[in-house]
Amino acid sequence: MRALALSITGSRGVAIAIAIAQWLVRFVAVVLVIATFNFVLVHAAPGDPAQVMAGQSGSADEQMLAQLRAEYGLDKPYPVQLAIYLKRIVTLDLGYSYRQQRSVLSLIAERLPATLLLTCSAFLLSLVAGVSLGTLAGVRAGKWSDTALTIISLFLYAMPVFWLGLMLVLLFSVKLDWLPAFGYVSIGVPMTPFERVVDIAAHMVLPVVSLGSVLMAIYARLMRSAIIDVAHQDFIKTARAKGLKRGQIIFRHMLRNAVLPVVTVAGMQAGTLVGGSVVIETVFAWPGLGRLTFDSVLQRDYPLMLGIFLVMSVIVIVLNFLTDTIYRIVDPRVSLRAAS
Amino acid sequence: MNDDILLAVENLSVALPKGGDRGHAVADVSLSVRRNEIVCLVGESGSGKSITAHAVLGLLPSNLSIGGGAIRFRGADIAHADEGTMRGLRGGAISMIFQEPLSALNPLARVGDQIAEAIVTHASPRPSRAELDARVLELIAAVGLPEPATLVRSYPFQLSGGQRQRVMIAMAMSNNPALLLADEPTTALDVTTQKQILALIRRLQAERGMGVLFITHDFGVVADIADRVVVMRGGRVVEQGSVDEVLRRPKDDYTKALIAAVPGSRPAAERDRHLDGEPLLDARGLNKTFVTAQGLFRPHRTVPAVRDVALSLRPRETVAVVGESGSGKSTLGRIIMRLVEPDAGAVEFAGMDFLQLRGSQLRAMRRKVQIVFQDPFAALDPRQKVGDAIARGPMAYGVPPAEAIADAKRLLARVGLEASAAERYPHEFSGGQRQRICIARALALKPMVLVADEAVSALDVSVQAQILDLLAELREEMNLAMLFITHDLRVAAEIADRIVVMRRGEIVEQGDTKSVFTSPQHPYTRALLDAIPGRSLFAGPEAAATLDVMTA
Repeated sequence: MRALALSITGSRGVAIAIAIAQWLVRFVAVVLVIATFNFVLVHAAPGDPAQVMAGQSGSADEQMLAQLRAEYGLDKPYPVQLAIYLKRIVTLDLGYSYRQQRSVLSLIAERLPATLLLTCSAFLLSLVAGVSLGTLAGVRAGKWSDTALTIISLFLYAMPVFWLGLMLVLLFSVKLDWLPAFGYVSIGVPMTPFERVVDIAAHMVLPVVSLGSVLMAIYARLMRSAIIDVAHQDFIKTARAKGLKRGQIIFRHMLRNAVLPVVTVAGMQAGTLVGGSVVIETVFAWPGLGRLTFDSVLQRDYPLMLGIFLVMSVIVIVLNFLTDTIYRIVDPRVSLRAAS
Repeated sequence: MNDDILLAVENLSVALPKGGDRGHAVADVSLSVRRNEIVCLVGESGSGKSITAHAVLGLLPSNLSIGGGAIRFRGADIAHADEGTMRGLRGGAISMIFQEPLSALNPLARVGDQIAEAIVTHASPRPSRAELDARVLELIAAVGLPEPATLVRSYPFQLSGGQRQRVMIAMAMSNNPALLLADEPTTALDVTTQKQILALIRRLQAERGMGVLFITHDFGVVADIADRVVVMRGGRVVEQGSVDEVLRRPKDDYTKALIAAVPGSRPAAERDRHLDGEPLLDARGLNKTFVTAQGLFRPHRTVPAVRDVALSLRPRETVAVVGESGSGKSTLGRIIMRLVEPDAGAVEFAGMDFLQLRGSQLRAMRRKVQIVFQDPFAALDPRQKVGDAIARGPMAYGVPPAEAIADAKRLLARVGLEASAAERYPHEFSGGQRQRICIARALALKPMVLVADEAVSALDVSVQAQILDLLAELREEMNLAMLFITHDLRVAAEIADRIVVMRRGEIVEQGDTKSVFTSPQHPYTRALLDAIPGRSLFAGPEAAATLDVMTA
């Protein structure tokens, strides 16, 4: 008996190790393909950084251009440049931004936490609120509370995110003066660490609500229809025939089954969130990755652009992996079916 | 005597929402179940038998409610009891099992937890973890499931249909109910599994002295399990009495018709149909293995569906391929039609090597083999008019539209529908009528071979008998050879000249219908024959003889 149990855990351990190995192989392959793709895309555009730099220095002649190109390796053939670029990536060297005179990695590292803080909070808020409201609407389908929730979520869904942001600022900052209108943290005010946390949280409220409410509307709609779907399935009748209370049926039998489509869609959208916060970061002057991307594109800062693209794709791949893992936890059929 | 009555339904009425085809789902239904007895509630689809059972537990769909009458359980009227009282009864003193074992369990929860939930809901004080585990294991063992310790940790999808139904029964038994409502619990199962589940219900009922209200449409099952029978039609009770009275001396005409329609209970058809000549279709050495990839480093999963199968079909002959789910019978039918390409083997059809044909030659031959599927609701395009559905086939082969439509109307009349049906959509027809449409669609191409894949399995017995009669007429008129795929030996006995029994992809026995029934050679065939419900009453072509032996 004991030996049997051991062999089962053993084989499960091996299976997990194999799954992780598979994922790593795919991860590296996808990152390299994306890096190549980005490189080709960026270099397909006319003009190169040397021209931009020479133009801005105001003293551009052919000799200086050539010198700049030689200095940054831009005179080498594209395949060689690509090889150098890929080799650097493997050693986690994302290059140097000529424009900002800093390493790309440090630029991204400085901005990433603010963006992650904003998007992760918005994402979690939208999931929790969307799933709760959707469940509520689903179990009350057809009643007035369902209609009200449906109208609100459609309203939020139809609203452009920047406009919602501006309206929230007008109401809560300008009119009521409850919350700061922009920025990440109050500047020039001495604060204890605790006060600082409270201050950042206050700054977060409006951008997080603006960004999260559109997504929340989507999840609420999805969850509502999934709940209605599940409510008609046979095992819900079985649960009723057991003598369970309505709340027990909803929490033990309906929620987990209904949340599966939400997990799928949320996983796909989590990736777009990272890049999609540009608008919100602009409206609220949030010092995040979105703004950095925007600036790098305007300034034709190739190394920075490539670096940001790469970091974003890595984030997307990791998020996809997390989604798969969460799906496997929620739905045992996915992993067990593949293994049996 | 009256103390014995557990459940008494008195003049129960349930109104249908406006716009239905009748005013009441059930009207004026009275029946009773005593302690330690099995009452079978029999009827065809739409007879209100299931609604009656759901009304007892207050589980009616939200658009239905009890209009009048009383439901007395142990003397107290529970027809209008409040939700709290009903919750106490559900899964406690009264429990229920359902038809679809595949969907009746929560797919994301472990089997053991689902059984434990049923116990905890009604236990006060809450049992300790150890007591609970012990009780779950005991229940799992009681319903005859293997390896209880492993099974509690399984998810429903890891179990077979029969095993899941046992889990449902274990759940229903968890609080030692006085009354069990069983809503077609064996309809979705293979015959051999059905036999086991019926025996299990019978055993649990006898051990615990339970009353059972057993809903079924199958008089064979009734004969096997019932003490008393209630027959319903159109929401009303037409006849009730002891199983002997109702089955052997039915009074009501509808009951008589239903019993007469049970396949295998009718006098055996004239067997010698003067079939001779060279085989029209001759398949040899057919093999098909399904392979599913499972990711980079895992071995592929292989399922041999058909193994070394040889099959021949003479002109005008009907061959029934009989087997349980997973026996490969449907795959065989699809290989014969070249919807699935076999891994190995040859099919000679009308003198040509069917598997080697390509392009226009293949297209020309395809129309010679047509199919009728099991589910008449899924087999027709809901947005295509019936006439188009039938005429499109011939039109694709170059018949002018006007001619094809005229042909379609003739065929509709031939299969027993109005010619005006051509202008209507599938949802306007009942299941039996749709199956007639599917037959017309298949015949529109003037095939030589008709593959009927469980073509009557989803139909009520009376409709089943009509469709079988229709097929028997059509095969004579159109000189059709038929490959009749079915899980039901009784149906096979009605129509087939020859029977082929398949198990796990292999043919275990074949022979003419009579000899397969009277002297089965393979143990599996004997097991299948044994499992036919109601053998004491209706036993294939040899019914009369067997019956005499049984009553002697």
